[in-house]
Amino acid sequence: MSGRSFRSVFMVASCAGAALGCYLVSLRVASERAALEDVENQIVLAQRDVRVLQTEIGTRGRLSQLERWNAGAFALSAPAADQFLKGGFELARLARPEHQVDFKAPVVLASAPAPQKTQPLEQPEVDDSGVPAASAPPAALLHIASYKTETREVPARSVVKLPLTAANPTDKPATADRSASPKSVMKPGLAAAQPKAAREVAKAVTAAAKKAVDKPVATATRPVTKPVRIANIDPLAPLPGRHSATSKGKTADR
Amino acid sequence: MNAPSPALVAPRPERLRLVGQRRQLLALMHQRLMFGMIVYAGIVALIALRILYLAAFGDHAGRKQSLTQLIPERGDIVDRNGDPLARTIDAWTIAIHPTKVIGDKLELARQLARLMPEQSEEQYFALLRSGKPFFYLRRRASPALVEAVNALGEPGLAIEREPDRLYPQTTLAAHVLGYTDIDGHGVAGMERAFDQRLSDAATRGEPLMLSIDSRAQQALEHELMTAMTKFSAIGAAGVILDVKTGEVLAMTSLPEVNPNQPGAVSPDARFNRATQGVYELGSTFKPFTVAMAMDSGLIKSFGKQYNCPNTLPAYGHVVHDTHPFGRTCTVAEIMQESSNIGTAQIADQLGTERQKVWLKKMGFTGPVPIELKERGRALTPGSRWGPFETMTVGFGQGIAVAPLQLAMGYQTLFNGGVYHAPTLLKIDRAHPLPAGKRVFSEETSYKMRALLRLVVMKGTGKKADAPGYRVGGKTGTAQKLINGRYSQTINITSFAGVFPMDEPRYVIVAMLDEPKATKDTYGFTTAGWNVAPVVSGTISRIAPMLGVQPDMGREPDMSQVLPYIHEKKD
Repeated sequence: MSGRSFRSVFMVASCAGAALGCYLVSLRVASERAALEDVENQIVLAQRDVRVLQTEIGTRGRLSQLERWNAGAFALSAPAADQFLKGGFELARLARPEHQVDFKAPVVLASAPAPQKTQPLEQPEVDDSGVPAASAPPAALLHIASYKTETREVPARSVVKLPLTAANPTDKPATADRSASPKSVMKPGLAAAQPKAAREVAKAVTAAAKKAVDKPVATATRPVTKPVRIANIDPLAPLPGRHSATSKGKTADR
Repeated sequence: MNAPSPALVAPRPERLRLVGQRRQLLALMHQRLMFGMIVYAGIVALIALRILYLAAFGDHAGRKQSLTQLIPERGDIVDRNGDPLARTIDAWTIAIHPTKVIGDKLELARQLARLMPEQSEEQYFALLRSGKPFFYLRRRASPALVEAVNALGEPGLAIEREPDRLYPQTTLAAHVLGYTDIDGHGVAGMERAFDQRLSDAATRGEPLMLSIDSRAQQALEHELMTAMTKFSAIGAAGVILDVKTGEVLAMTSLPEVNPNQPGAVSPDARFNRATQGVYELGSTFKPFTVAMAMDSGLIKSFGKQYNCPNTLPAYGHVVHDTHPFGRTCTVAEIMQESSNIGTAQIADQLGTERQKVWLKKMGFTGPVPIELKERGRALTPGSRWGPFETMTVGFGQGIAVAPLQLAMGYQTLFNGGVYHAPTLLKIDRAHPLPAGKRVFSEETSYKMRALLRLVVMKGTGKKADAPGYRVGGKTGTAQKLINGRYSQTINITSFAGVFPMDEPRYVIVAMLDEPKATKDTYGFTTAGWNVAPVVSGTISRIAPMLGVQPDMGREPDMSQVLPYIHEKKD
């Protein structure tokens, strides 16, 4: 009975509650939207500030100003054409150690290590000097590949023109400038290939050095690198444990 | 029993009528009341519905007018790498309403003169007492000054933010960019040419991307400025074009103008020498004459011989050479030594009609084809174009073109002979490359490479060489026409170069107006001495940035020309 009489009241109340709920949802949505707009607003304001700051930095660091600073302080210039490298090999070439002649190194008798052991396979020279060619060890037959090209350019056949090798250089004790590693070998053929260099260094040491044969030929073919780029070891050389590969480029690797 | 019978108390007729009327009236009143109630309820319902609608969909009271997107007042202009060249920012403006000043005017004038010394105390005081409503005191004021002025506390001072056009790179590419007036409308350069695009709300959000490369532009401006100062020239112009597309990578005109203060310089500085000024550019025209003759089949090989006497009398005039051969010479030698006599004979063989057609095809007879509104129009002999004029046009006298047109000609010649109109807008998806127009044959274009490389290797343009970049080009020294007569001492020197010559990618044209001789040039004012080093310096600076790999081992096919060069005595 009471339920029936209050039915309309319940109806009205539930309708009002539903309407209120809808309104609250919409209010909530509106406030969320407003908050989002605030954030968007802040983003735009921040973008505007970024823009202003970028413009200021750009204006202070404008190209004409940089040019003025460069003229006054830095003095940087455009790289020349030969400062561009084509790849890793050209870069590595720059790191090739510069060969230096160490005149203060102790004078060592050339006959101290047995040179015959490492006599190369240059048959004509060996025949001229009278040393039997059969003494070449089998290890000398190996040609160790490396990136160095100097040894291939050495014209070993020019020995006949050289007066210094008229006598057998290995027979007589000769002084030599041993600036390189103790593994450096004496090769009359090679040294004879660089008569000029050999003569220069011979004058520099002693009179007896006329017979000197294993002169480093650094002065003949200096690398084109600048002095500041000296490296201590040749990164492209074969490992030092090998037979004839040495850390200095001018002694042969064959 | 005295109760009256109903029949006896029958109402009187008038009373009966009254009852009927009343009922009628009552019904009418009910009707009206109901109608009023309906109207009232309707209004209430309407208001309620409106309130509900507003609650559901309307804006709430605290809502601000928001900017959801950053759209500048005027569109940005950026270079091809996106670096800003022109921007609109909010700048502080200090103004005053003299009528609203309530403090001591003399004291205020004293304070203003202390803070902004561009006007004196008396001037400020006169301004405050003038009774005019509004004055700008300073536009684009620094924040420190704004703070100091604000601290004066005078309510008559108005401190506001106004949109202001700023050119961050100051003088860089000023003649390309142009500038705006005080209302923010472009009055010169690209600001003027694209004013609609930059100010329209629909399009100004996207920056206008130019084909200018600001690094190349700076290098060109700096080198030209140095040369202009060194040789005391009255002006200079330079253009760098992309050979493949015709995009203008750099274009400058000196003396420079700062678009932030365009009024601070003379009208001469605002004149764009690269597009507006037309000059007789002299020998830089000779390659065109040779190319025309080759395309017409007159020259089959650079070994073709011409008689090159010391002077050439022709059609009642005499053609001279600065270094006359006095013997027969080959086409290669004519270009190498820039011989007027030789080129005049080639042009004579070509003939007036053919020359006109070629020049028209190359765009040398009309206005400069570029977006800028400041553009000149080439000057040709017009109705006086006879056989002698054909000769002089052949070596670049008697025809005046803008430096940009000259660059365009070289671009056509070395782009395999295909013409593309120069453009200041970057060629990309939004602005694709329009179809080109063939002018020269591909073979001619290829052969000309060696000829122009020869000029730089062994000829008049040696100082333009940038080692490793295979520069080719042609010098041009033209006598300036002063009061209708060619001056013997005042020159316009120009150099048109292309690099790298074995695969042409960029054209560079540099020009100096009235350079003077210096000790370094041994008294010469010819192009090989003053403007060629500008080209060399610019190329060695910009070529690595533009992706041209230097290579000392590459050259164009020089076997086309080298056999036809006589060894010099020295």
